[in-house]
Amino acid sequence: MIWRASGFRAWLLQRLSAVYMALFIGMFVLHLALDAPSSYQEWRDWMALPFIAVTTSIFFAALLIHAWVGLRDVIMDYVHPLGVRFVLLALVAAGLLAMGLWMLRILMMGGAA
Amino acid sequence: MRFSIYRYNPETDAAPRMQDIDLPDADVAPGMMLLDALRLIKANDESLSFRHSCGEGVCGSDAMNINGRNGLACITPLASLKQPIEIRPVPGMPVIRDLVVDMSQFYHQYRAIQPYLIVHDPEPEVEYLQTPEQRDELDGLYECILCGCCSTACPSFWWNPDKFRGPAALLQAYRFLADSRDQATAERLEALEGPYRLFRCHTVMNCVDVCPKGLNPTKAIGKIKKLMLKHLI
Repeated sequence: MIWRASGFRAWLLQRLSAVYMALFIGMFVLHLALDAPSSYQEWRDWMALPFIAVTTSIFFAALLIHAWVGLRDVIMDYVHPLGVRFVLLALVAAGLLAMGLWMLRILMMGGAA
Repeated sequence: MRFSIYRYNPETDAAPRMQDIDLPDADVAPGMMLLDALRLIKANDESLSFRHSCGEGVCGSDAMNINGRNGLACITPLASLKQPIEIRPVPGMPVIRDLVVDMSQFYHQYRAIQPYLIVHDPEPEVEYLQTPEQRDELDGLYECILCGCCSTACPSFWWNPDKFRGPAALLQAYRFLADSRDQATAERLEALEGPYRLFRCHTVMNCVDVCPKGLNPTKAIGKIKKLMLKHLI
């Protein structure tokens, strides 16, 4: 029954993540435009602020969810042989997961240093 | 007046071909519709097959692809068309012969949304009452003539005609969801769940672009999603 829920839920997640990303990017760009960090240290300090660190982490989670729903839709539309579809979906999932872990590492290391 | 018409008779032809046909300008009267011209052509070559019935955009029989756009031949003025006028069957459907396509999948999807009122209460003794406002909710939905122009213009329906309901059926699904007399909202929404039936719609809006009755299936699909959200919360 889980896959049956993947229609509405996937659509909702895609919409919510899109709204969040739009707001976050707006905030991010606005900050860079109005109060750009003058040095690398300042940039790191800003990124390490709890609010910024948390919202940035959520942004990348939203990005991955959004990309997963979108790519899954494309594959479901065009790739009909089940075996090929499964392999492609697995590749996409693995790729997104790897990117997610990589981003997590970058964000964590930024916080640790 | 020059035409280029898709011809295919599976009993005799190995492959479809485009046939160039000239209709003498003397035969073309001002204000003539495409269907009139096709009938004149058929008078000369009775092997040309196409569906038509009412001739005034009500029955929805003569949907075809006219210069790359789906429409009804009977309400498409000849004067509005660039020559040579290219006529093909509506895309994405199995061709039975020439411009006649097999609409089975389209009707199957229509049947699947249960296009009739479902009422659990005992039937009223006289009639179902509806306020004028409740009746207004059905405007822009009930006018659909099921010609198939929208669904056969929809890429999602081309790729998954067996699983995706298509814009015509989804417009009708909303027509019954929006009806104050219907009592099966939850069941109808449940039946549209899953990644295919409703959610293959990517709001390409080809359906809105081609609908000869000026209806808006994309908007109806959006309202179904809104209803689902309402039921979730």
